[in-house]
Amino acid sequence: MKLLTHNMLTSKCMKVVTVGYPLGINASDVRVSEVDFNPDFVAKIIPKVDWNVLYNAAQSIGQLEGLPKDVVENYENDHEFLKKAHHALLEIDIINGELICPETGRKFPINNGIPNLLLNEDEV
Amino acid sequence: MESNNSRKKLIKKLRKHQHTVGKETGVVCTDSPTKNLVICNTGQINGLTEEIIVEHFEKYGHLDRVLLVPGKSCAFLSYKDTSSASEALEAVSGKLNIAQDGKPIFLSFVEALPEIRDAKIWGRLPPGLRIITNFVSEEEEARLLALCQFEDGGSMKHRLVKHYGYEFRYDINNVDKEKPLSEGIPQECDFLWRRLPFEFRPNQLTINRYNPGQGIPSHVDTHSAFGDPILSLSLSSDVVMEFKKDETICVLLPRRSLLVMAGESRYEWTHGIVPRTFDFYNDEGGCHCFKRGVRVSFTFRKIRKGGCNCSYKLQCDSQTATKIIESDLLAHKLENQHVHDVYEDIAGHFSETRHTPWPNVLNFVQKLEIGAVLVDVGCGNGKYFGHNRQIVELGTDRSFKLNNLCKHRGFEVFTGNCLNLPLKNSSADAVISIAVIHHLSTPERRLKALKEIVRILRIGGEALIYVWAKQQIKNDEKSTYIKQDRKNRKKEVIGSVTKEEVSVGEGVTLPVHTNRANFTHSDVLVPWKLKGEEQERTFLRFYHVFEEGELESLCQSIGNVSIVKSYYDQGNYCVQFVKNNK
Repeated sequence: MKLLTHNMLTSKCMKVVTVGYPLGINASDVRVSEVDFNPDFVAKIIPKVDWNVLYNAAQSIGQLEGLPKDVVENYENDHEFLKKAHHALLEIDIINGELICPETGRKFPINNGIPNLLLNEDEV
Repeated sequence: MESNNSRKKLIKKLRKHQHTVGKETGVVCTDSPTKNLVICNTGQINGLTEEIIVEHFEKYGHLDRVLLVPGKSCAFLSYKDTSSASEALEAVSGKLNIAQDGKPIFLSFVEALPEIRDAKIWGRLPPGLRIITNFVSEEEEARLLALCQFEDGGSMKHRLVKHYGYEFRYDINNVDKEKPLSEGIPQECDFLWRRLPFEFRPNQLTINRYNPGQGIPSHVDTHSAFGDPILSLSLSSDVVMEFKKDETICVLLPRRSLLVMAGESRYEWTHGIVPRTFDFYNDEGGCHCFKRGVRVSFTFRKIRKGGCNCSYKLQCDSQTATKIIESDLLAHKLENQHVHDVYEDIAGHFSETRHTPWPNVLNFVQKLEIGAVLVDVGCGNGKYFGHNRQIVELGTDRSFKLNNLCKHRGFEVFTGNCLNLPLKNSSADAVISIAVIHHLSTPERRLKALKEIVRILRIGGEALIYVWAKQQIKNDEKSTYIKQDRKNRKKEVIGSVTKEEVSVGEGVTLPVHTNRANFTHSDVLVPWKLKGEEQERTFLRFYHVFEEGELESLCQSIGNVSIVKSYYDQGNYCVQFVKNNK
């Protein structure tokens, strides 16, 4: 699971949860793999990302690698910033671990890079 | 010398053919004359018909029987006496060129005709069927024919059609009972009712005009649309009609006769006319053939008030429609057993067969702009990923195994349920959901899945939804699903006779669909066959197949969406919509 995906996931669909965002991460196996860098593409994604959530997620799994705490001004032309964003969003892959609902503590397992967000009948 | 040689060659060929006949049908060929002959080297599978046999063989004597063996390249015939059979053999064998590629046919005497299980049956009628011959006089026939002046153009492809009282809509296989036509059954037909041996007063009339060579696919008249009985008056030409249930019964409908379909024959037997220019029939007098003329049929029916509650449930659209899944708990259980579990079992094989993306979906994906977030709800093996390198792709599926296959191909995926997507509001620029929503078993659940898609879309974002259509034949074109069956490539298909039903709990049973056929029910179990190491296993997947307009109105009921495009694509109904502000 990439951190870009984590940035979109929520446990709000559980009946007792009001926000369910962001989900906590417990990572037991993290893999970093190189992905082709396309600065124009990354620049288009930045406005869609909750930067604070991305930053905290990277930090919580020890993968900050110099990621700035805030989006810099004029980021579209900041090659270095885009490269770091690219790395955090697309190159970090959580292979095994779990996601944690911030309100209920419900854990969602991540196996082979695939988080399982299925809920039981009594949870929806 | 030379003629002796060629004679030897012929005998050698004949022996080879006789051997094949014996192997294929178990019939013993003999050199001593009998009444029975076999055409060794051409049959139904090569396009041989009863008509062709009668045409070439009746000149040698009185033909008693003609028998084509389904799927075989040989055919049998019987004369009244041995001398006719001998004469035919002498005149025809090795000489008459009606085998494939214009080659000669080879004949042999046989001891007896084979017993064929699914041969066409003559001389018997389906239960509830009767034919009243000479129901109208020639003068009355002329008056009735004068009623129907077909205008050019306003017709169906196969035959000319005109409706009175109510219009039968072939797209929905039903009548709109709220919208009677301004023109009722013409008064000129009134004399017919007095002649009936029972009380009946129809209020719907369909006139069909068939040119020689035209026919009508086998079908059962929609139960919910019409009552019992159904009358059909044949004018201007004889024709042979085929009735099918577990067997095929052929019935000659003479010109000026009235066909009455009641009870079982109305509710459970399909009826149809094979498109051909000649007809063959068999009666006490033997085998006959006639050239079809232009035939006009007047079909009189009575519109049914309310639903049908006949005892022929398998063919009854009313009773399968009312047997809907009502409780959410049952829906959940059904989807677990007949959707989720099945996909886990068939994932590998399923994925192998799902590699070619539908062009219109591909086009939607490829048009997305750089940086767009695409979510595929029910992504399967990720067939629609990797076709646009400039977008963010995120897939979700209920199947662990399909997700593993998708992830293995390098795509980002999570396991989830389309009824409760674990995604933030307005997080997607585009959503596709291809062949997913038809696996949900109640209208509420299908609507909920659509609402979830709308929720995760940003305002201005677009979604493309594909669901399986109940109509697998549209504008006379068969869907690829139907065409995949070699047997169906040439045949006309209207509906399949469903034979099997499976209980899914709470007293609800669902029909098992015949693969590669048109759908007769909306909620069905569709078999998926998986070859195991030792035996073949069949898995039943639940489908709700959509009527025309059903997906569209479901989407429209959401409110904050506008439909961009709505179309039929290879057996699917497809809607592309955009999320609005309000």
